[in-house]
Amino acid sequence: MMCRADQQPDPQDADRAADAMFAALLEDSDEDLYENAPCGYLSTLMDGTIAKINGTLLDWLGLEREAVVGRKRFTDLLTIGGKLYHETHFAPLLRMQSEISGIALEMKQNDGARMPVLVSSVVKHGTTGQPLLIRTTVFDARDRRAYEEELLRRREAAEEARRQAEADRARLQEALAVLQQSLLPDSLPPVPGVQTATHYHTASPDRLGGDFYDVFALDGRRFGFFLGDVCGKGPQAAALTSLTRYTLRAAALHDPDPVSALTTLNTVLHERYAGSGDPRYCTAVYGTLDPDPATGQLAVHLAAGGHPPVIVLRADGTADFLPTPGGLLVGILPSARFTDAKTVLGPGDTLLLYTDGLTEARTGQGRADLYGDEALLAFVTAHAGRPPHAVVQALTGLLDSFGDGLDDDTALLAIGVPASDPQTRNER
Amino acid sequence: MSPLKITARAAATGPVLELAGELDYANVAELHGALDSLALQPGQCLVLDMSGLEFCDSSGITALIAARSNAQAVRADVVLAAVPPNTLRVLRIVGLDQIFTIHPDSESATRP
Amino acid sequence: MDIASRNNVTVTGNAQGPTVVLAHGFGCDQNMWRLTVPALVDDYRVVLFDYVGSGRSDASAFSESRYASLDGYARDVVEVCEALDLRDAVFVGHSVSAMIGVLAAGLAPERIGALVMVAPSPRYIDDEGYRGGFSAEDIDELLASLEANYLGWSAAMAPVIMGNADRPELGDELRNSFCATDPDMARVFARTTFLSDSRDDLKRVTVPTLVLECTQDAIAPREVGAFVHQAIPGSTLVTLDATGHCPHLSAPEATNQAIVDFLASL
Repeated sequence: MMCRADQQPDPQDADRAADAMFAALLEDSDEDLYENAPCGYLSTLMDGTIAKINGTLLDWLGLEREAVVGRKRFTDLLTIGGKLYHETHFAPLLRMQSEISGIALEMKQNDGARMPVLVSSVVKHGTTGQPLLIRTTVFDARDRRAYEEELLRRREAAEEARRQAEADRARLQEALAVLQQSLLPDSLPPVPGVQTATHYHTASPDRLGGDFYDVFALDGRRFGFFLGDVCGKGPQAAALTSLTRYTLRAAALHDPDPVSALTTLNTVLHERYAGSGDPRYCTAVYGTLDPDPATGQLAVHLAAGGHPPVIVLRADGTADFLPTPGGLLVGILPSARFTDAKTVLGPGDTLLLYTDGLTEARTGQGRADLYGDEALLAFVTAHAGRPPHAVVQALTGLLDSFGDGLDDDTALLAIGVPASDPQTRNER
Repeated sequence: MSPLKITARAAATGPVLELAGELDYANVAELHGALDSLALQPGQCLVLDMSGLEFCDSSGITALIAARSNAQAVRADVVLAAVPPNTLRVLRIVGLDQIFTIHPDSESATRP
Repeated sequence: MDIASRNNVTVTGNAQGPTVVLAHGFGCDQNMWRLTVPALVDDYRVVLFDYVGSGRSDASAFSESRYASLDGYARDVVEVCEALDLRDAVFVGHSVSAMIGVLAAGLAPERIGALVMVAPSPRYIDDEGYRGGFSAEDIDELLASLEANYLGWSAAMAPVIMGNADRPELGDELRNSFCATDPDMARVFARTTFLSDSRDDLKRVTVPTLVLECTQDAIAPREVGAFVHQAIPGSTLVTLDATGHCPHLSAPEATNQAIVDFLASL
């Protein structure tokens, strides 16, 4: 009857179905597989003459079999660049290794278009080991090329952005350098019978420094000078430096007395910054130079607020601090005490002003120690008796030797009377 | 270099901040933050215990001045305690040793 | 400057024998002479080098302006000769190097006593009455494809895309690193090579010259070999039964024999 146990699947039937499927697959003959494989095949003689080529590759290139087999060489299918690469790299390596794989080349299509491909080849040898022919597979790399091109475009865009960022940064640094320079005098005015020398070390080109110095004429005879350090870094510090410099110069012209000038500066800064929620202040040494043409001596009167004491180097080879104890930071309190001091520089004597970048430089193992006052005094004592530019030059070398231990701006100002010994004077 | 460590505690006289490690440009914002979160009351005295402070640069000095002016704005006071010799030297140079009351240790600073 | 390290100079062979300098062509380095050197070392002192920008030369010595003309490469040859104080050396140049040898012999006649030109071409682009084997469009396309750096190992694209300047050192027999070149410097060399026209320089050659050509060369066709032979007074032309542009690699025995015969005749 029609419907009996046949409704139950017979295991033998399942086997038969599978057999039929494999039989269908076997219809995919070796020949058909070669001709219509999803990659290009070709075989060439050792001189490159094409002996066999499959339909897939002929289709890709838009070529007729008769025009190719026995008539063209593999290199004839390549673009000019591909041809050159084949001659200089592909063929020599294939000869050396008997196989080569994954080479990116370009093939010419009949319509003039270029087709990026990945090529692999092996040499088939005869029974005696002699090379017989070259078998080559060709994979379509168009999608891959498009992907690579996209990656390259992205990389070029990223590089352009980086170049732009670098240019912006360079412009900013240039602007900062100009601004920084505007906070310091281009050159110091000549002071009769006096030599001066300066140095400014910038810790970071990105951060506007806050050290400053100046020397300027007060009247027909006397000169004012100052050197200091404003708190903080960056544009606000630069604005404070600017305010400090012009206030000190104006105050000095009004009343050259050192304590008076610093007191005026203190009032101005406190007025400007107190209650702003952003206390700002500076340290400063301000003083006057009074040359005596008759004796060749230079009378120095100075005062300091919150600043490390200046050093006097004597012609006799000694050096010592000129203490100004108790001078307060300028600008933190409505009224502040400043301490003054006087000295007279004779021939060969030099007055050295510096900011604390020098004494606070980190030294020693692991940069754990600070350079300190004592070390500085010992260092400059060795240069006592030398003219200002020589002292500043020695200190510049010292600053350089700190390397990355010097992480703050440092200003140096040396004021000296030339030694009477002409030989020493000629050192200038 | 050791990082800055700030520990806050309360004493009868007011808050105490213990500062340890190195106080500089890179981490001074932490101290400013700690000071801002204190909420000092009028009449209180903030004690900055510096016994563990290994280094204090000008940024640290600025923070001390800010602490003082903020305290004065609410009629409170700030004192320093156990200032290490290095920092004391800096305070002397900038004249702050005359502005701040400096105690040998936080115990004497917090004595009512 | 240390020329020996700049140009990765190798000196081998018989120190007592006459000197033979082997110069690689575009896109390769001294490795391409691996099958030639063994035939020479018994009787000749053999000097190998890489042009600046190729092989294991010192890339920091590369200058786009210097190597924008074949003269720049010829100066490399002269400087290598001077560094080793060579006199009357035989210069064997492959492809564009054959022309570089002609220029170097003109610059320092006392250094170079004979020339072997392997698959030379004084001009790759066809011209009126001259067949170089390439049209101007071919060369434009070639330079463009080098510009895009799309040829070669597919893996070679990775450093180009990633912008990795550190290319692996070319090891002694490293698989797949045969004649690895820096793509940027190779581009300059390609431009200089394929846009050059040194035909007029050939007639100035006064030293004994051997011209080697292949029966089937996709880069330098037979006409070019004949042209070079005719242009150089007294030159010898040998046509090797070889396929490709590198007979010293594809037909080393025949190539070596031709070179050794020529050397013996000097």
